[in-house]
Amino acid sequence: MFTRLMPVPVTASRSSGAISIDQVVKVYDSGGAAVLAVDHCSLEIEAGEICMIVGPSGCGKTTLLNAIAGFHEITSGRILLDGAVLCSTERPKAEPGSDRIVVFQNGALFPWKTNLDNVAFGPVVQGQLSPRQARQKARSMMADAGLSGVELNYPGEVSSGMRRRIEIVRALMNDPKVLLLDEPYRALDSLTKSVMHEALLEIYYRNKVTIFFITHDLEEAIFLGHKVVIMTTRPCKPKKTLEVDIAHPRDYSVLTSKRFRQLIEETNDAVHEEALKAFSAGEKEG
Amino acid sequence: MMHLAYSDSTIEELVAILRRSFPFQGLPYDLLRSISAVSRRIALEERATIYRVGDAADDLFVVASGKIEHALGPSSSATRLVKVVGAGDVIGWTAVLENQRKRLATATCLERSELVRINGNELLKLLEADKPAGDALMSRLASKIIDDFTVPEWVVQVREVMAAPEALRPTGAGLTPNGMDRTLLRLSLWLRNPRPYLMLLGFALLLGFWYLSVEVWKLPRFREMPSVTAVIKEWISRRPTYGLSIYTEEYYKHIWVSTWRVMQAFFLATVIGVPFGLMLGWSRKFKQYVFPVFELLRPIPALAWVPLAIVMFVSSESAVIYLTFLTSFFATALNTMLGVQSIDESYIRAAYCLGADRRQVFRHVIVPGALPFVFTGLQISMGVSWFSLVAAEMVSGQYGLGFVINTSYTMVRYPTIVIGMITLGIVGYSTSALVRIAGNYLMRWRTRELALGAQ
Repeated sequence: MFTRLMPVPVTASRSSGAISIDQVVKVYDSGGAAVLAVDHCSLEIEAGEICMIVGPSGCGKTTLLNAIAGFHEITSGRILLDGAVLCSTERPKAEPGSDRIVVFQNGALFPWKTNLDNVAFGPVVQGQLSPRQARQKARSMMADAGLSGVELNYPGEVSSGMRRRIEIVRALMNDPKVLLLDEPYRALDSLTKSVMHEALLEIYYRNKVTIFFITHDLEEAIFLGHKVVIMTTRPCKPKKTLEVDIAHPRDYSVLTSKRFRQLIEETNDAVHEEALKAFSAGEKEG
Repeated sequence: MMHLAYSDSTIEELVAILRRSFPFQGLPYDLLRSISAVSRRIALEERATIYRVGDAADDLFVVASGKIEHALGPSSSATRLVKVVGAGDVIGWTAVLENQRKRLATATCLERSELVRINGNELLKLLEADKPAGDALMSRLASKIIDDFTVPEWVVQVREVMAAPEALRPTGAGLTPNGMDRTLLRLSLWLRNPRPYLMLLGFALLLGFWYLSVEVWKLPRFREMPSVTAVIKEWISRRPTYGLSIYTEEYYKHIWVSTWRVMQAFFLATVIGVPFGLMLGWSRKFKQYVFPVFELLRPIPALAWVPLAIVMFVSSESAVIYLTFLTSFFATALNTMLGVQSIDESYIRAAYCLGADRRQVFRHVIVPGALPFVFTGLQISMGVSWFSLVAAEMVSGQYGLGFVINTSYTMVRYPTIVIGMITLGIVGYSTSALVRIAGNYLMRWRTRELALGAQ
């Protein structure tokens, strides 16, 4: 389905899109019962790197993503993008912007717009392109991603795997520095998922954008990521960081390789321990 | 590939079969005879293949009996790839398309089936000779094809192909399927399923009970009730005893006056209620100011407003419209607000992420996202506008169905009361249906999504 990939060096060539998370704390305080969701979390993500955040459901990963995207305030600490402060103790909420685009867990293509108009949305509302130019660009970007033929359909008319790909293309239309993916493949079946992984890598090799990818699936994390960060459950902070030394470009043969299995073994315990903690704490999904 | 078994068939039988198939219905008898002359009646056994994807498309088939599975090729982006067709359906319409000479589908008999096979080229020749009828047949086929495919590009392609045979276009227009053909098709489909008959049964039960309780059993509560026969006689009488029937001008004047009042009130309620509801849902501050007042006024029934309305408005006409407007407005505004609140937060976040400002989020996310609820609100609004209208007309006004019911009561014209009630029901139902149709049209994305059963 996808053409084999051109060999690309593993080291990221992009100069922008570095995220630095510095001592971030987030306390949810809803009516007396304060919950410490993120506790002095520090993390460096290089420009053009795929950083996978692994942790059990409800551990506070999404809180971190929301802080970077500018949906939520942080309590203290700061987050920088290429050295510029996004949010800090003084200015706790970042401004959402097209340099950091989120691909949502349940998909957020506008169901009332055609796929093409969805993809063209960003440049049009930003006033960068006329609707006609934007559609033209959207058409060619969709064609590049193997999505021709469904431009004039509504999102409800195509498969969920295809919707995710369209959503990623919609994000890339804006030439973002960072893609923030919040368990985008959670609702997909495992076969579609495997196709989606290769599709994402292919898009990544072409665009070299920094990817901040939240998942609870360790295999997915090691298969895709340059770096895998395993998080502790509430409060959320890095427990273990793994540099994946499998060369990019990767394809599905990696899954059966010896090194891949070794890496899984090395990290599995840490993940399992946190999952158990989350389970006994009875954290709600989400 | 095919095992054709020609049976003895007279032209008349073929004409009869063609007439049972929607695209051929109502065509001139002579044309049907000449089509029959170039047709062959064939019978196929179970599991026989009629044609496969990629076969040369020469013939069109009209199903006379049996069941046939029609599976479109995977690349054809149809609404449903596989469907089962039966008596009266037409398959193999690729044979009359201009540029498509290959089958797009595979058709297989699920049971022993009889078909009428018509050669596509012969058919086109006959249609060219009789342009008006040929045009009608082709446009019906086009509407059938368009029903089968939802992908707009495909439809466009089919339309262009349909437009190609110049000889078939006497005026250059009318080749795209018109509303009448589609309505007829829907009607014929509807008549073939049990729903209309159940509906008729429901009406029959109601009328039967009415008849028996008043005229046969003479139940105590029903002693003064007008009987069903009296009402119907009065309603369709050329010289009605009480002065109101479908032959009197008065009757239509009352209907028109009521409808016009509802239209004005409904229009005002929509124009004011939708923006008001959008603001309630969108702006927290606006809601904090306004919503408590709104909630306090909402439960007050229109009838309670009658005295104040009469005091406030000099003319009774504007008082009636004001009362009608009031309930509609609350229904529209409340549902619109709920619509805004029902929008998934991720759509709003996604729009901000993609660089939209607040105004653009409002226009591109809030308004279309609330639309399904807005239309539910408008349907409710249309319904309640009728009942507050009648309440208002009973109190003031000189015309209108509410006025009819009220004066008929004081003047002891009992059958006319019931005529007024039934007419209200019919007119009210029709206006609500119009709102529903408009809503479905504006929210095609939603109907298509629901029709395809996407998650």
